[in-house]
This record gives sequence, C-alpha cells and structure tokens, in this order.
Amino acid sequence: MRRWLRHHRYALQVALRRLRGHGLSSLANILVIALMLVVPLLGAAALQSAQPLMRQLAVNPELTLFLTPGLDTAAQQALQARIRTEADEQVAQVRLIPAAQAMDELRADPAWAQAFDALPANPLPDTLVVTLKDTDAPTRIADTLMQAWQHWPGVDRIQLDSDWVRRLESLLALLRTGLTLLAGAVLIVVLATVFNTVRLQALTQREEIAVARLVGATEPFVRRPFLYVGALTGLAASLLAWLLAGLALIPLNRMLERFTHTYDLEWVLHLPPPADLLSAGALTVLLGAVAARLSVTRHTRF
Amino acid sequence: MIEFQHVFKSYGRGRNILADVNFSTEAGEFLFISGPSGAGKSTLLKLVAGLEPASRGAITVNHHRINRLNARTLPYLRRTVGLILQHTHLLFDRRVIDNVLLPLAVLGLDARTAITRARAAMDKVGLRGKEDYWPIELSGGEQQRLAIARAIVGRPAILIADEPTANLDAASALRIMDVFRDFNQVGVTTLIASHDAPLMARYARRTLHVEAGRFTDLPGVPT
Repeated sequence: MRRWLRHHRYALQVALRRLRGHGLSSLANILVIALMLVVPLLGAAALQSAQPLMRQLAVNPELTLFLTPGLDTAAQQALQARIRTEADEQVAQVRLIPAAQAMDELRADPAWAQAFDALPANPLPDTLVVTLKDTDAPTRIADTLMQAWQHWPGVDRIQLDSDWVRRLESLLALLRTGLTLLAGAVLIVVLATVFNTVRLQALTQREEIAVARLVGATEPFVRRPFLYVGALTGLAASLLAWLLAGLALIPLNRMLERFTHTYDLEWVLHLPPPADLLSAGALTVLLGAVAARLSVTRHTRF
Repeated sequence: MIEFQHVFKSYGRGRNILADVNFSTEAGEFLFISGPSGAGKSTLLKLVAGLEPASRGAITVNHHRINRLNARTLPYLRRTVGLILQHTHLLFDRRVIDNVLLPLAVLGLDARTAITRARAAMDKVGLRGKEDYWPIELSGGEQQRLAIARAIVGRPAILIADEPTANLDAASALRIMDVFRDFNQVGVTTLIASHDAPLMARYARRTLHVEAGRFTDLPGVPT
C-alpha cells in the first residue's frame, strides 16, 4: 500500500513538473478548456435561475371565455356555476365581466374613448375570466380546460391569456436541449485537447519513458504521470471556469437587473448549486484522465 | 544465473545476427563479450536484459525463461539487471541525483532510503558532491559513471555494460573497469561487451568471443 502511494506521489510530482515545464502551453490548454466550460455553466445558470421566474410569472394563468352574444344573465350564471362544479380543483376564481363594464373600463382610457364614440353600439361581448390555481403545469391544465369548455353552449371563443408562458416554457426546453448538445461538444473539446497535450508530451518524453522501461518500470508506472497531467488539466480548467463564470455573472446580473426592473420582476443569475458544480468538475477531471489514458496508450508504443 | 540454449537472433527474414549460441554463467561471474564491431555483442546483451526477444532458443536469467515472460512481468526481471548501454540514456533535463533516483522511484522506495542509496551509489562511482549538477556539466567519463550509478543503485544481481569505455581515455577507462570489478567482488554477475583487447587482457577474465554470429568460450585466468 505504501509503495502504491509512493508511486502515485511520484507520478503527481512528475505531472506537476511536466505542466510547469510546458508552462505556457499548459496554461493555454487550461484556458481553452475553461472558456469552453464557461459557456454551458452560464447556460445552466440562466436555466436554473429561470425556474423560479417561471413560477413567479405563471402564478395565475387566466382563461377568458367570450360568451355568445345575447346570452341571458341566467345562462351566464349557470355557465359560471358549471365551471365551479366541474373544475373546482383547477379553478381559483371565476369573474363575470359584462360587456357594459368592459366598455366603461376601456372608455376610461382616453386613447380608446374616441374610438368607441364612433361606434353605434357596444361591440364587446360578455366575458367570464377564469383564474387557474397555481400548479406545476399550468399550461397543460389550461389546454385541457380549453378543449373541454370550447364546446359548451353559450361559449363563443376562449383565449388563454397566459399563452406566452407556454412559449417561454418551449423556449426554455429548447435552451435545455441546446445546453445538452453544447455540454456534449465541450466534452469532446476536453477529450481532444487533453489527448493532444498528452500526445505532445509523450513525444517529448520519449527518452524518459525509454529509460524508465530500461530500469524496470511497468506500463502503469509509465502511464500514471500522463493520467495525472490529464486530470490536473481538467481540475485547473474546472476551477478557472467557475471563477470566470462567477466573474461574468457580475456584469450580466447588473444588466439583467435593469431589464427586469422595467417588468417589475426579480431575476438574478447565479451559478448552479455546489453539488452540481462539483459533479461537473469531477466529470471534467475524469474525462481529462480518460483522454490521457487513450493518448498515452497510443503514443508510447515504441 | 544466465543460460543460453541454442539461441538464434535475426531481424525479419534477414541473416542471423546470432546463430546457435550456447553458454551459461554462474552467479558472481565476471564475463567479457569480445569481438569486432557488428559481431552481435550488443544484441546478446539486449537479449539478456529482455530488451529484444530471441528468434529461437531459450534464455534463462535468474531462473526465469525470458521468452515466457510477458509485458507485465518482464519489468520485474529488468529490475534485477543493471544495464549500461553504449549511449548512456541520461535524462539531461534532470539533475544528476534525480537520474540516479529514477530506478528507486520505480521500486517505490521511501524518499529517505532512496536518497541514502543514491548518494552511496554516486560515492561508489566517484561522483560524490556532484548531486546537483546537470548531466551536461559532467565529462564523458563522469556521464558514463553516472550511468553506472543509475544501473547499480537498485542493487541488481546482474550488471551488463555495452562498450562502457569506448569513448574514454585510458585513465578514465581503468577507473570505470575498477568500479565493475568492485561490484563483481561483492557477488554481482558482470557482463561487459568490449573490443578493447589490452583492457580485457589486463583483467584476464572469462571471455566469450563472437565473430560472424558464432561464439567461442575463452576461459580467463583465475584471480
């Protein structure tokens, strides 16, 4: 066990010496990998930070039921009661807005007042505004209710006032898919960069490898420092990526704050939770070691 | 200790470098391999160290049949064989002491023991005080002695040297030969390939003479 630990300590020292020996190119490799990691990190930050925003926005999606012109008050109230009875679990509130009230509200806006004066009669229909309860899948529930209600007698047309929430959800799903693809591309970049670094190092260390074999080094002994080079490159790149992503969030949040303030919203980007960051870092370290293993096995056959 | 039985060596389908070589050595023996350049001396030493496989025949070193060892087990045999090749294979980007420490790192010795043994090996070959030098700062003879220090630091049972005095002046050559003799006297089997007839005559040991791939066993004068 002690011998095994000494071998690993030796491999670590050799790896650090090699990284130091090729300081500039090691730094360039670490920087390339770190910059590639920053992009999905920021993407993940945006996605994860958007989840609470989504809930905040979708808290009260509303369905507006435009009633058939001429529907009498009793029928309107019956419709209101039916909604309450059949969809009580999903519905938070049902409000009847008579056409006259809607017209009065619009007339209060000077921009509309003149336009309505020109009309011979009130063109607005009576409406039922149904506010849904806050759930995890508001758009799906709203869709189901729309499908059911649009065939009810007395209902002329239904409009989902929170339709844009669905678009935002779709956009986020698209971002999530894009992020997954981007993460895949980053993994390939990590593999390729470390593979090439180790290939160059194996070429420059030919003499050392040959001498080590002469004095009885096993292949794991020869390979181990290269694996450490790969893993250390991954580790340094991960740490640098976290730092860069953290720094990038400062001006991004400043700009975002100005933007969201105009919508009266709170949206602050923050890095993914430490557990996720550690998992991503561990994966990068592992990938570095795997790439080094593939490269060193291939390039030390002499 | 070392036994060759009907050993042939050729490269590809070319002519035999070695043809039907048979000899054996006892533990602690001092043996010269002599012959003109290109006769196959270096090839024979490489076969003993397991650096090259034999084309035919059986080679036994330290009770191990070399051709039965695989890539995983061969390194462990190499640790029992100290090898000094014509080209010293020093690591010029490491200090002198670090070159000597390499075989001990392979063995996984603790740092204190490794340093003690490396200093002792350097002392034996007369390089004391040059631990922190770079190999390039050493003379040709000193570089050769550094290669010897690296070969002996792991306390091998067999020491193999290929033309260790070829590029040295007479005084340096004698000093290096004395180092080999000292190791042989403490029981290390020593094989030295050389074509320096006066030097071999001076040490008057058993000599395997190789010419055109065939060996003649010439007994030495007991010392």
